[in-house]
Amino acid sequence: MKRNWLYTATAILISAVFLLSACGPSGGGEKKVVTFIFTQEPETLNMHYTNMYFSSILQQLWNHWAWEYDENNAPYPVLVTEMPTQENGGISADGTVLTLSLRDDITWSDGEPITAEDFVFTWEMAIAPTNTVATAYPYSEAVSVEAPDPQTVVVTFAEPFAPWLYFFHGLLPKHILQPVFDAEGTIDNADWNNNPTVGSGPFVFSEWESGSFLRFVKNENYWGEPAKVDEIFVRIVPDDASQIAALTSGEGDIGIFIAYPDIPTLEDAGLNVIKVFSGYNEGWYLNLGEKGHPALQDVRVRLALAYGTDRFVISEDLLLGKTVPAATFWDGSPWADPDLKPYPYDPQKANDLLDEAGWIDSNGDGTRDKDGVELILRYVSSTREIRLDTMAVIQQQLAQVGIGVELYNYETDILFGSYGDGGPVATGNYDIAQWSDLPGAFPDPDTAYWLCEEIPSDESPQGVNWQYICDDDLQALFELQKTQMSFDDRVATFHQISTIMFEKVYWLGIWQDPDIWAVSSRLSDVKISGVTPFFNIAAWDIP
Amino acid sequence: MTRYIARRLLQAIPLLFLVSLLLFVMLQNMGDPLATMGGRTMTRSEDRARLTRQLGLDKPIVVQYLYWLIGNDWAKIDLDGDGIAETPGIRKGVLRGDFGYSLVNREPAMEVIMERLPNTLLLMLSAEVVIIFGSLLIGIYAALRQYSFIDNLITTLSFIGYSMPIFFVALGLMYIFAVNFKAWGLPYLPTVGMFDPRVGKTFWQVVWHMILPIITIAITSFAANSRYVRSTMLEAMSQDYIRTAKSKGVPRRSIIFIHALKNASLPIITVIGLDLPFLLGGAVVTERIFAWPGMGRLFIDHVSRADTPVVMGILMLIAIAVITFQIITDIVYAWLDPRIRYN
Repeated sequence: MKRNWLYTATAILISAVFLLSACGPSGGGEKKVVTFIFTQEPETLNMHYTNMYFSSILQQLWNHWAWEYDENNAPYPVLVTEMPTQENGGISADGTVLTLSLRDDITWSDGEPITAEDFVFTWEMAIAPTNTVATAYPYSEAVSVEAPDPQTVVVTFAEPFAPWLYFFHGLLPKHILQPVFDAEGTIDNADWNNNPTVGSGPFVFSEWESGSFLRFVKNENYWGEPAKVDEIFVRIVPDDASQIAALTSGEGDIGIFIAYPDIPTLEDAGLNVIKVFSGYNEGWYLNLGEKGHPALQDVRVRLALAYGTDRFVISEDLLLGKTVPAATFWDGSPWADPDLKPYPYDPQKANDLLDEAGWIDSNGDGTRDKDGVELILRYVSSTREIRLDTMAVIQQQLAQVGIGVELYNYETDILFGSYGDGGPVATGNYDIAQWSDLPGAFPDPDTAYWLCEEIPSDESPQGVNWQYICDDDLQALFELQKTQMSFDDRVATFHQISTIMFEKVYWLGIWQDPDIWAVSSRLSDVKISGVTPFFNIAAWDIP
Repeated sequence: MTRYIARRLLQAIPLLFLVSLLLFVMLQNMGDPLATMGGRTMTRSEDRARLTRQLGLDKPIVVQYLYWLIGNDWAKIDLDGDGIAETPGIRKGVLRGDFGYSLVNREPAMEVIMERLPNTLLLMLSAEVVIIFGSLLIGIYAALRQYSFIDNLITTLSFIGYSMPIFFVALGLMYIFAVNFKAWGLPYLPTVGMFDPRVGKTFWQVVWHMILPIITIAITSFAANSRYVRSTMLEAMSQDYIRTAKSKGVPRRSIIFIHALKNASLPIITVIGLDLPFLLGGAVVTERIFAWPGMGRLFIDHVSRADTPVVMGILMLIAIAVITFQIITDIVYAWLDPRIRYN
């Protein structure tokens, strides 16, 4: 009889698949492991060398900040005994000296004490010209950082510096890195950056396999309350659909940046979905520069854009009602003015404003024009799917009021390319640009986006005021808030700033953009902060 | 043959130089590595100006290419921004084996690449073995039973497999064999990664996690390759020497695997020879969906950050591999067909 080897081979293959699948774990052993699913791999664990969110949020696992933030984004002392205030003398009366009192029981995971010298060293490394750190801010604002004794750090500024809360994120261990700096003149290539076996958090770094995972194990020498789980395993899963599959199948316990359409799937699978405000608001940046459309110089046209765009429908339909339109750049934070509400959708009012501004459809082509110039705006953004959908909807809405829109989408590194690199927004080759952003030192509200000196030019190609807006009133208020050490005074200033920007439509909020987290129901005591997400990681448990 | 190989290797030098120059120029126009520094928002203006200077990105493209090629340890750099170049460069250049440091994580570019290469080779070579043997099996079977029900079925399935986008195959397999099988209480396969953290990275864990990625790559490749084997086998089986062998009473197995397959192999070797160097590049989509830490993902991640040192390293590795495997393919030709001479 002729042997049918194709059937035999196929049968063997299928049997092997099922045999191997049966070799999988049956549900885990004694070790309590929490598995994070990250869609991007941290670039480095030394957060001075990256602006990447996934690098920053791991910090609370293994390396405490001087102060961290709770689930309400309120700061609380960690390495310091109390938050510095003018009342307790931590902030000098003139606002130029910041004095930190360190706890006397804090240690690195190798047993070395954490002292004021580590803080001074961190400042020195952040501003050393031989270190290619991602940002020298806010360290570059300090005139000096001194350690009069092991438990006292004194930071001196040339003038009052309100955003001081941004200091000392990512403390560097001097006893590990000073020898590297002495030998190489830089810590750019220090082994500790990506292999930080010494830290100060409830877990210690254990292993990092590029592109695959990071592992943190319980810090047996932790100076605080010990962690309740044994290990944090961070798995890198770059595909969004695979992230959802891993979470729903139970191969991951926690994931972030969940797309709105995936929320029902995750909830059906028993995961808890948590919205966390981390300072981001999606909005429009309007180009008022020479290369922008001339119509945008008229505030009535900008108001017409606000009234002619139904952002409520976008929040309700595209974002499944999980968020709402943003009114100000600072929405969701204490700095936002609660009296300012998003412009309602009112196409009739938009039409009236455009008529009043002289933009009418004189040639009957469906698009308004004035002095021979058609009201067609270049609308740019990134390639993120939700933005593509939003832009298509808005294009139709604005067509209803006679405003033509051309859509352009770029990868992020091109969209945010500098003036010198010919970035489309930086060089002013757009009329409306949309992205999600936050104040640069969140939770501090300060931002440089609307400062006159930040308007890019051939002489100053790195400027970030890509709206080319220079408003004297706004400029004065932004300069004032930076020196206001009183919280209430600063809030009042930001309410004034918000009002100007709202009334003149310098920035138009599209939606409030909270981070969406999915958390397995097998975890207990999970709280998430918008600034230091894993601030209470030591309390997490798997009952 | 030795002279031929030496000549081909010498020809490769100017070719590699030209390829490197073209790629370097193209990469300079693929985005700004300092645009976000990995963040969700733009880099501060002071930092961008400082980093542009420190990383040498303010230099003309010709100078940047020269530094990449021959290093900058003969020049000085202005690190502190005072307009005076005071710090000696430390890069040795590609010609001295230094591909530079990644702009993303400041690690040596070649180290970054070499961390991923074994994972890619493990996945892609395993997949290639499955593809070659599977394609031979299916192609020969179909050729020997031309126009039978099985042949028609294989043809139909081949076209279906060929026409399906790989992401659809990958996600479909993942949801069926991992998510749904688990929900149905059946033995299930893992969704992502190389191993289960609760078990650890054991041999069987890695094999277990490779099943779905390999099947995904294989399904889409079986289609084209098996059709290729079928057609070359059909051509070989219709040759006079096969009829002669049959009439001499040579066993059927010998006719198929020794006489027909060896002669049908030349075009197949060409296809495999072209495939092999690209194994280094990994399977971008498959690696991404199954979270396999390979070169494909590395390439995409670092292209999106305009990380020239790492991207150039990967591209040059692939360019070298293409040239090397073409030479190897030529050598295998001569071994398979003694009539072929390169003198």
